Amino acid sequence: MTAQREVFIQALFEKAKNDKDIVLISADMGAGALDKWREELPEQFFTTGIAEQNAINFAAGQAAQGKKVFVFLMACWAARCLEQIRYSCAVANNPITILANGIGLGYAPSGPAHCPTEDIAYMRSINNIEIITPANSNFTMQLVDYILDNPKLRHLRLERNYAKEMESYYAEDWSGYDNFDSNIISQGINPIKLNGEKAALLSCGYMLGRTINSQEQLLASGTETSVYDIWQAKNIDIKLFYKTFNIYEKLITVEEQSLSGGFGSMISELNSDSRLNKPLLRIGLPDKYIFENGSRDHLLDTNGLSVNNIYKQCARFVNNK
Amino acid sequence: MTTQELEIKAKSVRKRIFDFKTRSGVGHLASCLSIVDALVSLYHDDNTRFNHKKDKLIFSKAHGSPAVYPILTDLGYFDEDELNKYCTPEGILRLHSDSTIPGCHFVGGSLGNNIGYASGIAYKANFNVYVILGDAELYEGAVWESLMFIAHHKMNNMHLIVDRNQLGILGKTEELLKIEPLKEKFESFGFYTNQIDGHNFNEIKNEFSQDNSGGPKCTILNTVKGKGVSYMEDKWRYHTIIPKDENLIKQGREELS
Repeated sequence: MTAQREVFIQALFEKAKNDKDIVLISADMGAGALDKWREELPEQFFTTGIAEQNAINFAAGQAAQGKKVFVFLMACWAARCLEQIRYSCAVANNPITILANGIGLGYAPSGPAHCPTEDIAYMRSINNIEIITPANSNFTMQLVDYILDNPKLRHLRLERNYAKEMESYYAEDWSGYDNFDSNIISQGINPIKLNGEKAALLSCGYMLGRTINSQEQLLASGTETSVYDIWQAKNIDIKLFYKTFNIYEKLITVEEQSLSGGFGSMISELNSDSRLNKPLLRIGLPDKYIFENGSRDHLLDTNGLSVNNIYKQCARFVNNK
Repeated sequence: MTTQELEIKAKSVRKRIFDFKTRSGVGHLASCLSIVDALVSLYHDDNTRFNHKKDKLIFSKAHGSPAVYPILTDLGYFDEDELNKYCTPEGILRLHSDSTIPGCHFVGGSLGNNIGYASGIAYKANFNVYVILGDAELYEGAVWESLMFIAHHKMNNMHLIVDRNQLGILGKTEELLKIEPLKEKFESFGFYTNQIDGHNFNEIKNEFSQDNSGGPKCTILNTVKGKGVSYMEDKWRYHTIIPKDENLIKQGREELS
């Protein structure tokens, strides 16, 4: 399993070798693929030091000059330069891509400062931004062409380690299911496992692994559900949403974020705005900062997101007539 | 233009700013008046290096940016009548200038950020970038992040202009929270720095006609907030107050005529 930052920067590096306009700005973040970039393309690399605000402002200016700009920072510090993302990029219409590494509890056990568990909420409040959570490295790699071909302000939420259950998805010949566009980079909704219509389980990123495992437990107990990867945290087409989920009795969201304004909130808005109006259960982290030692999996287990707990909540919700 | 002609032009610019500000009652009149002489010199004095057709002047203290509007009308960027429509639904001129206004760049209104943006457009560019910073704006940490970056990359096409009018919203900077010694701070960050009288056209001309081969440049302009209107000059309360009283407006217009 190769880290998402490595595959993205490596694939971007291959493009940058033939495109002088591609520039990468690191706010003192490293990656193996970055070492090669710095050595071979020093003119297309900048570091601002640990100075995220200047990184975004400089990036905005470079974008205004026609550069294709990527800013590499720790996901948690996007909050620190939220004003610059909003003001210098969104308001001023300067398209850059933020490579935000280590979402959710990905940096456990570094503590809550390093673990952005509200970033979907604050990033999606910015107008005209696109927020992408690739589920694995296959998907991440395919985003490079899409981003270069479609300039826009983007927040790319990269996993330090993605869910092993997602390893086989989104290979280059992966085309999802018959009723979906084979071009995965077009809609923000992808079916992962379609086993029944009692409920659709919607998730993204690392939590897809636990969602799939919960779905298997549900299936074993006779509750047939389906799992979807909702990899865009904004800009989901409302008609596609309605069409996709109208066949299900209920909707369940599973996220590694607190529930205030995050992934589940987005689905709730779509459920309401599309007049789909399905019963909806939102499962996520508690509204608190987690001061506990342990791995990401440990912290998820102790904070309400164990597979068994997700399964139980789903079963109760689905079978409660 | 001769020094005398520049002085006449500056007075005309100040009067028109005073007129559209008092008519609309919107914005930060005193913050505009302090920077007028430097702007008139940059745009109208052929001895200065700034070329408005090629170079970019970016207001980081964008609440002072309406000061440039009369200058831009004189240079034909938009009709004089736009000044009468300042901040009305029919007009194009805003409290904080932005790139929708001919002759203006980027957006305005968030202090501390436009200098970083300016460095992004200045990097290896074949034009000069001037950035107008307020002195109280220097409290923003993002400014100092950008200073380090600009100096490290030796961006000789960048010229910072600090409007050192000594006042923030709540009073004198040195009483509220010291920012001095400013010149030494900019010098220690790698900027070739001069501090001059921001209302003396000879000093301004001398400063802005020099080339930047010594490194990125910073000019600290000693200015008077509310310059030209005696009852506003150096009065911190006038940061957010625009005269409404008829007699005060009459007096201001007379003093600027």
